[in-house]
Amino acid sequence: MQTLFQLDDITKSYGAVTALNQLTLTVPIGAVGLLGPNGSGKTTMIRTLLGLIPVNQGTGQVLGLDIATEQLEIRRRIGFAPEEECLFPQVDGVGFVTYAGELVGMSHKDALQRSHEVLDYVGLGEARYRKVESYSTGMKQRLKLASAIVHDPKLLILDEPTNGMDPAGRDDILELARDLSHNKGMSLLFSSHLLPDVEAVCEHIVVLGAGKLLTQGRIEELKQAHGQWYDVRLKADPSMFADRLRSLGCTIDLRDDVLRVKLPENESQQMIWKLAAQQREQIRYLRPQRSTLEEVFLHALEKP
Amino acid sequence: MRPALSGEVSGSAEVKPIVSFHEVSKWYGNVIGINKLSLDIPAGVTGLLGPNGAGKSTLLQLATGQLYASQGAVRVLDQPVWNNPGLNHRIGLCPEQDAFYEWMSGWDFVLTSARLSGMPRRIARDAAARTIESVGMTRHMKRAIRGYSKGMRQRTKMAQSLVHDPQVLFLDEPLTGTDPVARRDLMDIIQRLGGEGKSVLVSSHVLHEVQSLTPHIVLLNHGRLVAQGHVRQIRDLIDKYPHHIVLVCDEYRKLASRVLSWDDVEGVRVLANQSSVVVETRSPDAFYGRLPALALENGLSIKEVWSDDDNLEAVFKYLVNK
Amino acid sequence: MPIFDQGYQHWNGEMRGLTWRWLAITQHGVRAGLQNRYVRMLLLAAWSPALALAAMLSIWGLLERKSDLIKPIIQSLAFLSRQMIASPKDYRLQVWTLSYDYFLLIELRLSMLLILLIGPNLISQDVRLNALPLYFSRPLRRLDYFLGKLGIITTFLAMVIVAPCIIAYVLGLLCSLDITIVRDTWRLLVSSVAYGLIVSISAGLLVLALSSLSRNSRYIALFWLGIWIVSGLTAASLEEAYSKQIARESYRAAEMEPPQHHLIRLMGSSQVNDFEQRMLEAQAHDWRPLISYIDNLSRLRQALLGSNQAWESLAKLHPIPDRSRFLLMFRGPSYPWYWSAFVLLGLFGLSACVLHFQVKSLDRLK
Repeated sequence: MQTLFQLDDITKSYGAVTALNQLTLTVPIGAVGLLGPNGSGKTTMIRTLLGLIPVNQGTGQVLGLDIATEQLEIRRRIGFAPEEECLFPQVDGVGFVTYAGELVGMSHKDALQRSHEVLDYVGLGEARYRKVESYSTGMKQRLKLASAIVHDPKLLILDEPTNGMDPAGRDDILELARDLSHNKGMSLLFSSHLLPDVEAVCEHIVVLGAGKLLTQGRIEELKQAHGQWYDVRLKADPSMFADRLRSLGCTIDLRDDVLRVKLPENESQQMIWKLAAQQREQIRYLRPQRSTLEEVFLHALEKP
Repeated sequence: MRPALSGEVSGSAEVKPIVSFHEVSKWYGNVIGINKLSLDIPAGVTGLLGPNGAGKSTLLQLATGQLYASQGAVRVLDQPVWNNPGLNHRIGLCPEQDAFYEWMSGWDFVLTSARLSGMPRRIARDAAARTIESVGMTRHMKRAIRGYSKGMRQRTKMAQSLVHDPQVLFLDEPLTGTDPVARRDLMDIIQRLGGEGKSVLVSSHVLHEVQSLTPHIVLLNHGRLVAQGHVRQIRDLIDKYPHHIVLVCDEYRKLASRVLSWDDVEGVRVLANQSSVVVETRSPDAFYGRLPALALENGLSIKEVWSDDDNLEAVFKYLVNK
Repeated sequence: MPIFDQGYQHWNGEMRGLTWRWLAITQHGVRAGLQNRYVRMLLLAAWSPALALAAMLSIWGLLERKSDLIKPIIQSLAFLSRQMIASPKDYRLQVWTLSYDYFLLIELRLSMLLILLIGPNLISQDVRLNALPLYFSRPLRRLDYFLGKLGIITTFLAMVIVAPCIIAYVLGLLCSLDITIVRDTWRLLVSSVAYGLIVSISAGLLVLALSSLSRNSRYIALFWLGIWIVSGLTAASLEEAYSKQIARESYRAAEMEPPQHHLIRLMGSSQVNDFEQRMLEAQAHDWRPLISYIDNLSRLRQALLGSNQAWESLAKLHPIPDRSRFLLMFRGPSYPWYWSAFVLLGLFGLSACVLHFQVKSLDRLK
């Protein structure tokens, strides 16, 4: 498994505040989600990867290049879409992306050709000929993404890319991120507070807290199934059904209209179907209980 | 077709609506913001959804008395909102934009808001302390707002909207920029308020958040009301798209052929890599009714059943027609 | 026929090295600057002094050749002394020098105006629209960023100063058809180009430093105006006070009471001579022009072109008693030019420091 980036014992302080505290981590290529509460050092870590800030101690490598000495090379291979709104002044969409490409070192002709290509890909049609100051939030996010991929980076860093977008726009951006990372071989570092977005795009997550690594791993492995626990929803009021299940030896936890059922040992969900057939109940939802990414995250934060 | 979708389906008829719009329109010059909107919002948490430009901000501004309706009547707690500052005692607003006095500390800000709503000094101090504690900002409350992160600002905004214990709460994108910890805390607060019988209207673009807060929604598009009520009931009313029901089973192909023999099944899609089938039907009730018997048939043990389109995202997509 | 993938394509082109990165920034900025209507109008207006310069050099060339084309306007040249018109070749250097001097004097003011239009926005707009993360997350050093921005100003000033100088030189050469001109005046060409560079680097870095201080371009424009005009006015009023002080000294030397007003008008003719001598001496040590930014640049221009020497040799054409008045009227300040050079270097250093501290490439806690 190839390494996307690796940090060894990185410490970075700003005066009295320690943003990164002996952070050590190795991340494989692919789509990686970066999670952490506010102030956990995510932004500082991203800036460290980009070689934008010097660290007090520690070493690191991104795509095999050293962050202390080969910073310009690293930035040539990375595309970064920052969280805040950012624009080059006084250009139209095409000019924006072309300029972004020229700043990486592309020639004007290459940058212009490529900018139309990526603007097609992110879905900015005729709007690309309008001044960027007139764009809506969704269009600005797409523009940011386009300018980050114009030079075909190996690693794309997205910081809260769906901020302020309506549901249609959010779906589009997530679809683009998924396509780039799963189908086009671009590694992705996706930093977001919206856990379902991270889940929709990434396979691997990294959780930071107070400048340290709290947990990392594949999402599928971190979200374990809970053995004999099932979530059940019925058409009608579930309380009678719940009583019946209890009498058959199950443990029940009733929340809103969802039943959390723990089946006794050696029983399968057929037990529930049998009871439903007997009682003429409709089962509208039956799934083994798995922790959500939110639970994984909150659990990781609680660890000492 | 439209009126059929906008019935009020939640709860009993004699519950008085807390926020009520009656044929309200609002235009800015020639541009229409809200178009003949009639809406009643009951107690509890209600989600306000819609694509960009649908009129959500206009609706919130009309409901809080910041805008005057070009047509129609807006009432909150059975009083007209316009030019009725006394009503502000019982209304709380958490706006989308950040408009703080950056030099104030969080404590100052919430305390001032409390005093501005008419509370005497000591009660205001208690209320401010309590509210700041409930949003989790006690640790930072003495610092200037200038140094706050986005999540802290959102919490402070929430505190300011709650400190005078309002009966009606309007929240415009209350969770942007908050990390999952703060999100959980704020969502708990919102749900608790809904449970206490207050009316909370949450406007948001983030559908899974609204879904975890409440199943009751109001959907706007182009300044008009598209649908209102419980998500699943709205889904039932959408005729255009058949329901998708996912069945996970080891013998999925056998299950598929069994299911195809039923009249009301319109289509079956096989997802081999998840060993499941997706059934399309316009009579979900009948389908679910037959399911337990099917599950007990020889060799067909159905491991999971769930519908992948009776959630908010699917309803939104179907109604707003991407 | 296969169907082509309309989705994302990879790109494997060549990327240029770091040395020319600043050029991309310069080209982008020049294009943006030319979008401004007033900039275009000013560029056009800046060419009329250039035409005047070219005309003057051409006329002198024709005069040297005693060409017929010149006959009609010889009358209008009567303000020049007869000796000059009689032997134009001897005074060629002086005329060329002083024509360039006047031209560059006007162009300096126009340059200040041009910088007022394009300068303040250069960095403050990037800060306002938050473009800095976009710049510095790319393989770009701060040096490339500053060089690129400086290049924008240098390009515009080159259009306004350097290009007309060269073109007028060539025209003057063509009109006189005398290759010995080059031997006499090539220094002028080099000096004027060098001067253009000095102005663009000094004024450019100064306006960049100002631009990095605020998000609001209007304040910066006002500040720039302040530096230009207010410092000029301050120096001028100090000069005025100084000359009055010297006049009073002159009165006292003649053992007379200096009157309250109209010090100079009330002087007798011999006293005026004494006053003029004192003024000429004082000029060599007068530090007051150093306060005005433009005057510093002018002093360097005079030193590069040698215009003070030109005026002195022209003064010899006048009878001795009139010489000091002639010099006082026309010759510029004569304090050592390296004083101005130090002031400008100091400003250069200050600007560089300000830029270094203001534009930190993102190394701060959010």
